[in-house]
Order: sequence, then C-alpha cells, then structure tokens
Amino acid sequence: MISKRLLTVGLAGICTVALATACGPVSSSDAGDDGTDEGSEGTTTVTVFISGDTNLVDLWEQGIIPAYEEANPDVQVDVTLDLHGEHDQQTVAKLVTATEAGDDPGFDLVDAGFVISSAAEAGTLLEVDPATVSGLATVPENTITAGKGVGIPYRASSVLLAYDSTVIDNPPATLEELLTWIEANPGQFAYNSPSTGGSGGAFVTTVLDSYLTQEEQDGLRVGYDEALQESWTPGFDRLAELGASVYQGGVYPNGNSQVLELLGNGSISMAPVWSDQFITAVETGLISEDVHYAQISDPSFTGSASYLGIPRTADNTEGAIDLVNFVLSPEGQTIIAEQISGYPVIALDELPEDVAAQFADADPSALRPGYYSENNDDMSNLWDQLVP
Amino acid sequence: MALPPVLVILLFVGVPVLLAVGFSFGMTGGLNRTAAMIGQDVFTADGLITGEAYAMLFADPRFPRDLAATVLVTVVTTLLVLGMAIGIAVLLRLRAGWASTMLSGLGVIPLFIPVVIASWAILNFYSGDGFVRSLFAQFGAEAPIFGFTVTGVIIASVWVNLPFALLMAASGMQGVPDALIDAARDAGAGTATIVARVLVPMAAIPLIIAGTFTAIGVLGQFTVPYFTGPNAPQQLGVDISKYFQSFNQPQQAAAVAVIVFVVASGVAAMYVWANFRSAKQEGRV
Repeated sequence: MISKRLLTVGLAGICTVALATACGPVSSSDAGDDGTDEGSEGTTTVTVFISGDTNLVDLWEQGIIPAYEEANPDVQVDVTLDLHGEHDQQTVAKLVTATEAGDDPGFDLVDAGFVISSAAEAGTLLEVDPATVSGLATVPENTITAGKGVGIPYRASSVLLAYDSTVIDNPPATLEELLTWIEANPGQFAYNSPSTGGSGGAFVTTVLDSYLTQEEQDGLRVGYDEALQESWTPGFDRLAELGASVYQGGVYPNGNSQVLELLGNGSISMAPVWSDQFITAVETGLISEDVHYAQISDPSFTGSASYLGIPRTADNTEGAIDLVNFVLSPEGQTIIAEQISGYPVIALDELPEDVAAQFADADPSALRPGYYSENNDDMSNLWDQLVP
Repeated sequence: MALPPVLVILLFVGVPVLLAVGFSFGMTGGLNRTAAMIGQDVFTADGLITGEAYAMLFADPRFPRDLAATVLVTVVTTLLVLGMAIGIAVLLRLRAGWASTMLSGLGVIPLFIPVVIASWAILNFYSGDGFVRSLFAQFGAEAPIFGFTVTGVIIASVWVNLPFALLMAASGMQGVPDALIDAARDAGAGTATIVARVLVPMAAIPLIIAGTFTAIGVLGQFTVPYFTGPNAPQQLGVDISKYFQSFNQPQQAAAVAVIVFVVASGVAAMYVWANFRSAKQEGRV
C-alpha cells in the first residue's frame, strides 16, 4: 500500500514539474555549443533573453551572436527564448522579484517590448548613457531619451503607407489627402486595431496628432498625462467617422500581419504597414511586387526604436555592455539591416555606403516616435471604446 | 493527508483563482503586489474590499454592450447546437439509414480539427472574397458577408461545439428502449409526439449536460471570436485578454473574469442539478 502511495506522489510530482517546464520559456545554448562552457579557463557567458517573433530569434542566433563570438572567442552567448513574448507578464514578475532579492534573474541582456514599459517602471534595469555604453555616442538624443534612461536603442522601424500600384497611380502625399482618398474609395483601406499591432497604432496616433499642438504632442511623448489625453477627442471623432469607409464598413483586423494578408490577397489596396515586415513580406512573396510604399507627411506616420535592457542585478553586466557595444557597432548595425531590414540607429556616415544609401530616407532621428507607453495603452483603450 | 491530485489542483487552480478574485476587489498586497505595481488604473481597497474596478467597467458603455453580445451569442449558439444535435440524434434513432449515419459522421468531424484552423477556415469561407460570395457571384447574385460579424461568431461556435452535443444526444437517444416507442405508437402518437414526449424527456440528462458544456465553453471562448468576430461588440473572452495585455489593466481583466465566472456558475448549477437527478434515478443518492 505504502509503495503505491509513494508512486502516486512521485507521479504527481513528475507531472507538476513537467507542467511547469513545458510552459516556461525555453533555454538553449546557441549553435556550435561543444560543451566547453564548464571548467575551461577564461570563458565567460552572457545570456540574452529574447521575447519576440522568429525573425528576432534568427537575427540573434544566426546573425549577431556568431559574429560576436567570432570576434570574442573567450565569450559564449546563450539565448533564452520566449517566442512571441507569451510569458512577458511572468518574466517581468520574475525580474522584479530577482531585483528586490538582489539575485541574478538568469539573463544579462533583455530584448523585449517590456524593457521601456513595465520593466523600466519597476526600476529593474541598469541606467545607461553614452558614458557607460560607448556605442550610444552617435545615437540621436531623443531616441535615447525615449528609453527612459534604461533602454538601449539598437534598431528602428517605421510605419509606411503601402499601396497597390496597379490600382493607384499617385499615392496620397499628406495625411489630409490620405483621409480624403479613404472616404472617396470606401472599403479599400484597412488598419488593425491599435491594441493588436503597431502599424494600426501609428495610423491612429498620426490622426490624433493632426489635431494637437506641438506642445501637446511632446507632452504625450515624454510622460504619462491623463489631462492631455482630453485633446484626443476630435481625433477619435474623425476616426469614428472614417469607420464607414474602411474595409467592410468598419472592420479592423487583428494584428499587423492580418493587414498584410488582406493587402496580399487584394481585398484592400492601401494600408499602413511596418517597414521591416513589409519588406520581408515582399521578399517572401506574401505580397506582390506591384505593391509599393511611400511615406506621408504633415504629419508623417510614427516609427520607433526597439530597446535592449540590462537587469540591474545580472551577474555579468560588463559582458552585456560589451555585447551591446558590438550590436551598436557598424558591423552589428549592418547585420540588423541585412537580416531583418531594420533601420540602423547610429549615425549613417559610420555605416558601409550601400547600407547607408538604403536607409538614407529613414534617418531614425527624423522618426516621429509614438506616445509614452502608458498613454499608448490608454489610446488603445479609448480607441476600442470610441471608434469601432 | 490530502491526496496529491487535490494538492496539485489547489495549488495550480485554487490559489490563482482566489488571488484573482481578491485582486479584482482591490486586494493589491501580497502575491498580487507585482501585478498591481505594473498595471494601470489599479484600485486599492481602503478597508477590506472595493468595487471600483467593477464600477469603472460598468461606467463604460462598451462593457455592458460586450456582456450582452456574449450572452446573446451563448444563448443562440446553445439553442442551435441542441436543436441540430437533437435533430440528427432523432433521425439516427427513428430512421437509421445511410443518410442519418452520414449526417452523424459529418457532425463529429469538427472534433478532429483544431479550433484555430477551423476559425480561420470559416472566416475565409464567409469573408468578402470567400467561397460563398464567389459562388453567388457566378450567378450574378450578392451573398452577405459573415466574416467579422456576430453571425460569423455564431456560425463558427456552432461548428466547434456540435460534435460533443451530438455524441451526448445520440447516445442518450440510443438508450431509449424500442418498447417505449412502439407503445407510444400503438397508443396513436405521431412522430412529433414521440420525439417531444418520449425521446427528448428520456434523453434529458445527457442533453442538459451537453447544453451546459456548450454554454460555458462559448461564454469564455477566445479563439473563435478573436478570428471571426467584429471589433465591436466583442466577446468577453477576447476582452479579458485585451484589458490584461493591450490596455495594461490587470485588475479590470480580473473583474471581467469574475463576471464571466458568475454567469457561468448559473449555468453550472443546471449541470449539478442534472448530475444529481441522474444519480438519484440510479439510486446512488
């Protein structure tokens, strides 16, 4: 009898462990791990935590890490992956707990959307500036400021207006022309709900901005300000009015990629899209080469940098800073540009000529950033309340 | 000593549920502290509890609207599923033949197709450039678009939930003895009377179980409305995820979850009653 009970307890234990591990982020050493990480003298390890899509994983595992390890043979870079950021909430909770206890959170560098929002908010990340991270020297000032003092900008992308050139000869050049075009061609334009993706969010932000003064826009970008959010009302009214003219008289797809798909199958002929996703989609054939892109002006669509963060209590912060400096070097920035069509964040004249030429129009300092993250959450919420 | 399965359930289901309920009523200390620190618009109770998160939800016209839409979809889907399941089961019981066998076989197929794939397929089937519209266009007619509409959500929900109800209804009706049906017929009952007075009452318990499972499943579903539904009104399952992730309002998300739980427990009461009655009939209670 006793042995049977023990067996039950043991099995339940195994199940619990299996449950816990099956759901958590997976850790893996990068390719080429030959087991030399233990015992060999002088080898240090840097662990990168990635919360994102497969293109980011490839960028790190096949682009940045092999190049970095080749330049620094005594450093081994490991990757902990949380695909699509499904466990972001748990990761931040773990980070907060580790910071409070003064323990190593299990990773030295974080590449995730929460770096400049909840993780920065909770004070879990190391403060950075060009003095501590030399790679930031030529990165535009306001791009660094948007990182709240802890985020290290390392690539950028912006939202562009994609249009089917077989249907449209002259794409709208300004926001006003775009809105006029949408109303003149009902059902031909779509943007995703801002809560599900940044390309729709950029469209909404841009329309809202067109009713704001420069001071109001700046105020919403540097800090959380609920009083200023009142000035969004005319913009939301305009968007609600526009609803009848968008795809299917008021359907806002879920996510950036659903918009790309509608554009690809010809259901719509114009949409705001992320530069990097769009370029990749054209390369893979999801979208026909007849679909071109342009930027509008007055105001332009927003774009933003993506940020890395270094946990305050990480074991190997020096190693993480060295890796960050590599990412911000001309070599690292070229890898990003080639692998995921990401905009460089450092000064263009430091880059190889062909890369610099490719991004000549995409100067990251000229990107209009999106709202401060809490304002952005409220914008998604209000949009959901007022527009559809 | 408590049994290990009980401990596992308490630890992984019981405690998180209690924490979430407490959180929604403003208990932001202890294990809820991290979530409260990160979230926006979090209300902390001065005394024991506060209903401010709920007040905020109901002050927003969007929430009552979504709640009504969710209940509507649940009721309509459950009625349609039960109606179709009973129809096929009756056919199988009274007119067993190739047609009814094929129908019941087809009805079970959705069980083997993942919901994500099914939702996507249904969306494409009824969308603006989908099969239905293309077929109608061949004859110069215009079919309605059901993609991204509440009707689309109902169609997909019925599709996903039919197999279980069908299996329950069919097995319940197969258990009705021939003698009862023949006796009713001898007494002059027509087919409609036999279905309404003999078959359905005899299969009442499995039908109620099927109905409650369908209703609870549809009430909290995420995948189907996320893919096929409109942006407004949205189903509560999708709302929970939006409040939690996109709007960074974990407390409001917990409050929505508690409201879904309250509605679902009303349905669950029927399930308990049906189980109790069947136990009583078999003399176990």
